[in-house]
Amino acid sequence: MTAPIEATRLTRSFGAEIAVDDIDLEVGTGEIHAIVGLNGAGKTTLMRLLLGMLHPDSGIASILGYDTEDATSAVWGRVGHLIEVPFAYPELTVKENIVASALLHSVPTSSIGTAVDRVVEQFELGHWANRRARVLSLGNRQRLGLASALVHEPSVLILDEPANALDPAGVVFTRDLLRQYAREHAAVLVSSHHLDQLARVAHTITVMHRGRQVGMLDPAGVDLEQSFFEIVHRSDMAIREAQP
Amino acid sequence: MRAAYRVEIRKLLRSRVAFVATALMGVLLPAMGLGFYSVAVSGGTGSLADKAAALLTGEGWAGYLGQVDQIAAVALFLGAGVVVAWVFGREHTDRTFPSLFALPVGRGTIAGAKFLVLILWMVALSVLIAVVALILGVIAGVAPWDAGVVLSELSRLVVISLGAAVLSLTMGLVASMGRGYLAAIGTMSVIVAVSQIAVLFGTGGWFPFAVPGLMAVAGMEGIPALTPIQLALVPGLAAASMWLTVEWWRRAEVV
Repeated sequence: MTAPIEATRLTRSFGAEIAVDDIDLEVGTGEIHAIVGLNGAGKTTLMRLLLGMLHPDSGIASILGYDTEDATSAVWGRVGHLIEVPFAYPELTVKENIVASALLHSVPTSSIGTAVDRVVEQFELGHWANRRARVLSLGNRQRLGLASALVHEPSVLILDEPANALDPAGVVFTRDLLRQYAREHAAVLVSSHHLDQLARVAHTITVMHRGRQVGMLDPAGVDLEQSFFEIVHRSDMAIREAQP
Repeated sequence: MRAAYRVEIRKLLRSRVAFVATALMGVLLPAMGLGFYSVAVSGGTGSLADKAAALLTGEGWAGYLGQVDQIAAVALFLGAGVVVAWVFGREHTDRTFPSLFALPVGRGTIAGAKFLVLILWMVALSVLIAVVALILGVIAGVAPWDAGVVLSELSRLVVISLGAAVLSLTMGLVASMGRGYLAAIGTMSVIVAVSQIAVLFGTGGWFPFAVPGLMAVAGMEGIPALTPIQLALVPGLAAASMWLTVEWWRRAEVV
């Protein structure tokens, strides 16, 4: 059976720079898979390829068994994502932003009110519900982005550094939410540039460096930080030795 | 399409850019036309009065609305162009463009919905300008009143306003490809300058961006009549640019 999120020998360059180099990755149903790597490791590019935001030079990105190049509306309707900047139009209120996201994710009109109220409550956005997004703090904008990504209860979730700008309570809350989604059989792919709380709840941790998959970390391991830097260092040394 | 339309109409209704553009063009533009007309018929001898008188295309309501026509032919392209550039360019400037990927509603549909909302706004704005021009003319006591002439001149004003406004739909493509509204704003300045040159060299009729301006001064000495093909170039260019923009949105990547 095909995994809900799958990359097969995925490669993408920007000029001479290989941003994603021959990546193979699978995220199964009910699994949280974290990609960790330093800034510029290729995590965001990989996620963009998986979401059809970029076309691969070679290899296949597939979602729910469909190549992202020809995925249908029904497939995308089951995907939620937050890549870099939250879905937050500054001129719209918090509620209006979430309604807009619900509409674009094909939530039936009759269910939009309930769905919006649910995520407003889940993400504790009630106090700001009728305020314009432009007045929100960075952390609350991130909460709004997550609420917009989840309003349609997706079964595939791709989140790029979701803990960005969140306060400790927000991080813990988001961590629990990811666990809940995985329990409810969603496939979750998250990225992080450090081993934060979200990476630590993952079932699988892939380390990326300079566009390549350079190792895996055991989420149950004792000193993940140390293991991470060792993998990155080994990769750098290998590249240096390979250079003429 | 309905979902994308609902989202886009909400964004436009909440936008300060669209609100300011509507207020400025809807009220100031007819007021300026009335001001120029009043100066032109005042019998004054200053340079402004001479210039305003030279631009008079008729007397009474035809003269007054003719002044509004000439301002609308340029102002609507620039003013509506700012809104068009914002509607498309803001997705890049505000970095919301990636949020429009991986959705059941395609990006081509979203771009189409943006155009639909913009066209409806342009129709409403053109009608608003005509209504405000009528009200101001009545208040100012422009005479003589002839319902037939006034209706015909107001219809002409709506057509010229709408013609100038739909030409600014081309800025949707520029703002999309330029990934921000600044590219479109720069392009509009160049287009206005090139239009002036095209008119000076007598080839303005074949330069669609100059057509609304030529329509506004039709009948004046030395202004050649526009052919149906030249007139058709205006909606033709708008339609072609909309199609290209939708195609760009369908194929674009996040970079």
